[in-house]
Amino acid sequence: MHYLLAAGGIERVKHAINTICEPAPFFILSCAALAVFLIGYRFWTRPAVAALLGLSAVLYYAISGLDENFFSIISKPDNVPISIMMGTVAFCTWLAFRQAAINDARVERGEPLLEAGADDKVLVWPDLVYIEFIALILCTAGLIAWAILLRAPLEQPADPSVAPNPAKAPWYFLGLQELLVYFDPWIAGVLLPGLIILGLIALPYLDKNPRGNGYYTFKERPLVITMYMLGWVVLWVVLIVFGTFLRGPNWIFFGPYEYWDAHKLAALLNIDFRDLFWIKALHQGLPSHWLVREAPGLIFIGFWFTGVPILMAWTCFRKTYRQIGFIRYAVMSQLLMWMFLVPLKMALRWTINLHYFIAIPELPFNV
Amino acid sequence: MPTKELVTKVWIDPGCIVCDACENTCPEVFDVQEDTCLIRPPAMEAAFTRPLTQKIAEAAEECPVDVIKFEVQAVELSDAEAAKIFSADSGAPAAAAEAAAPAAAPAAPPAHAAPAHKPAAAAAAAPAVKSHSPLAPAADLGDPGLQALLAAARTRGGQAGISKARGGLISGDPLRTDPDNLPPDARYAKTLEEARKIKKDGVTRREAMSFSSVALAAGWATFAGALGIMVGPAGLSFSMPRALEEPDPRVRVGPLKQYVEMKPGEVNEDYKPKGIWMIREEDRVSALNIICTHLGCIPNWLPNDRKFLCPCHGSGYYFTGINFQGPTPRPLERFRIVIEDGIVVVDKSKKFQQELGQWDMPESHLAV
Repeated sequence: MHYLLAAGGIERVKHAINTICEPAPFFILSCAALAVFLIGYRFWTRPAVAALLGLSAVLYYAISGLDENFFSIISKPDNVPISIMMGTVAFCTWLAFRQAAINDARVERGEPLLEAGADDKVLVWPDLVYIEFIALILCTAGLIAWAILLRAPLEQPADPSVAPNPAKAPWYFLGLQELLVYFDPWIAGVLLPGLIILGLIALPYLDKNPRGNGYYTFKERPLVITMYMLGWVVLWVVLIVFGTFLRGPNWIFFGPYEYWDAHKLAALLNIDFRDLFWIKALHQGLPSHWLVREAPGLIFIGFWFTGVPILMAWTCFRKTYRQIGFIRYAVMSQLLMWMFLVPLKMALRWTINLHYFIAIPELPFNV
Repeated sequence: MPTKELVTKVWIDPGCIVCDACENTCPEVFDVQEDTCLIRPPAMEAAFTRPLTQKIAEAAEECPVDVIKFEVQAVELSDAEAAKIFSADSGAPAAAAEAAAPAAAPAAPPAHAAPAHKPAAAAAAAPAVKSHSPLAPAADLGDPGLQALLAAARTRGGQAGISKARGGLISGDPLRTDPDNLPPDARYAKTLEEARKIKKDGVTRREAMSFSSVALAAGWATFAGALGIMVGPAGLSFSMPRALEEPDPRVRVGPLKQYVEMKPGEVNEDYKPKGIWMIREEDRVSALNIICTHLGCIPNWLPNDRKFLCPCHGSGYYFTGINFQGPTPRPLERFRIVIEDGIVVVDKSKKFQQELGQWDMPESHLAV
């Protein structure tokens, strides 16, 4: 009896985790977790606290591994790097924020920075070459061990008329593949990756603030670091985790303990922005000409990329605008608006099944 | 005759940031070099600087690091001369010059000079003329920066000018007549002309920079052109089809009877390896292209759910090919379909798109 109750309890926990791993709750929880971490970064980065967190994550993984469905997903040779990646991302984030926490506390006490007077120059020969050589050997050994322990996932012979189900990109592209679910190929496959690269190149030209150059800090650059963490951890790493662990056959969401049933029903009837405006709001048919039909979406997207930045320059970014000037602000705000269009579109897809803001298949042009 | 305070001596303190502001304001006096600003040799004489009082004061006012210093001396002028020097439309700079004068003649050596020549009420009582020379021998200068500046000026051939100026100053006759015996206006013109000539003959930093960027651009253009010539034909040849014959786009899919016998809403997957789904609607038989219109994957037909689902990004289509789910922007395409000798032939070289209103065109379907 007790055993049954316990089993039922475990099933309930699994069900609860499956539920919060649905995209909208998972995404909101990720953002909330990031916010909690950033607000209390001095507490969370204490070695004891961080070790406890890491240990609980490992423990969670180990216990969940007892579940058949969970184990089949994490033990897939393709997915092992994602688990490693989550660990390394967590570790590197902890390392940086730990030093930032120490530095910020030191500055408050009027003590010199960790980096002050640090003599971290080394000789190329022998120091650097030795370190590189050792790293090379360790990496090679690790890769050999990996190749022996985990078999390369060979699938069925290629057939141009059959695609594997689900068909997944290499793990490092799964974030982009996840973007393709929400955007037209030319946006998700060309424009957004290009903007990510161009934006990273433009960063040193956009950001004139010298604070944080050459030393770790969070207190002196809270907004910028928060934006970066949002873009990197939530909009890149979390999307990779989505694509790897939570996307099953027919690219439908599955909870981590859920069986990948190719016939799982998902009520995902798309609705376009134009339908919301003309049919739901105005109770009339769609106009025949596409320009009139898509006018609401065109106006919305136009406002998103021009009106919102102008409003922000008037209100929350007034000081920033004065500091960095028109051109820098224009570039920065466009990059930001593109970045925030992604979670906006994802959230609308998850909640109301929004297909596109602008859907002009005749051209074709879809946003 | 009114008495006006006119500039008799100009010098630059260490700390110039070569911003070019002074040279733009008063090119007759200031010569901005690579690493500092120098006073042009003719401007080391009081006779030269006196009529330029207003411009020098403006330049000193504009200097962002306030390294331009000058001394003034009260001189009696006729109204006409005063009007010429202090143009009526800009009384403010002249006033500034007058106000600036006392502070610019500090009692301390230049190295300890006040950082800016702000109007100072206390300094108004200070003597307007001071004999201390900023270009005195190195031994007189306590400041190493000033010494370095002096040394730099000497290595650039400024020694003659420095000696000449010092001679004039030490002789105690700042009003000494000019050896060229030219009226001041002509001398400004001459100095300006010389400055232009230097600019014309020599190469300024800006010119050198623009030249090197043009050279760099030309170099890259040459490189790109050479690459294009070498790689271009290869690229063109790669983009041409190598196969001599393509597979016949016309696929024979059997007699019409078997498709007419299908129930409306059924999908025949027999010719999926050829890239075709045969579908049966109430009034017609059509041939669907199996390529997903989102990004070119091959969706799967789920007979129980009666829909096509794409395994790549989750696009969904009804059995008719109309899209309803996921990111796909438009319905699946349909192939041209005809009957030849009693056999249904699907011609994959011609496609019909629903969003362009082509699904009701002849040959886009077979009416049954």
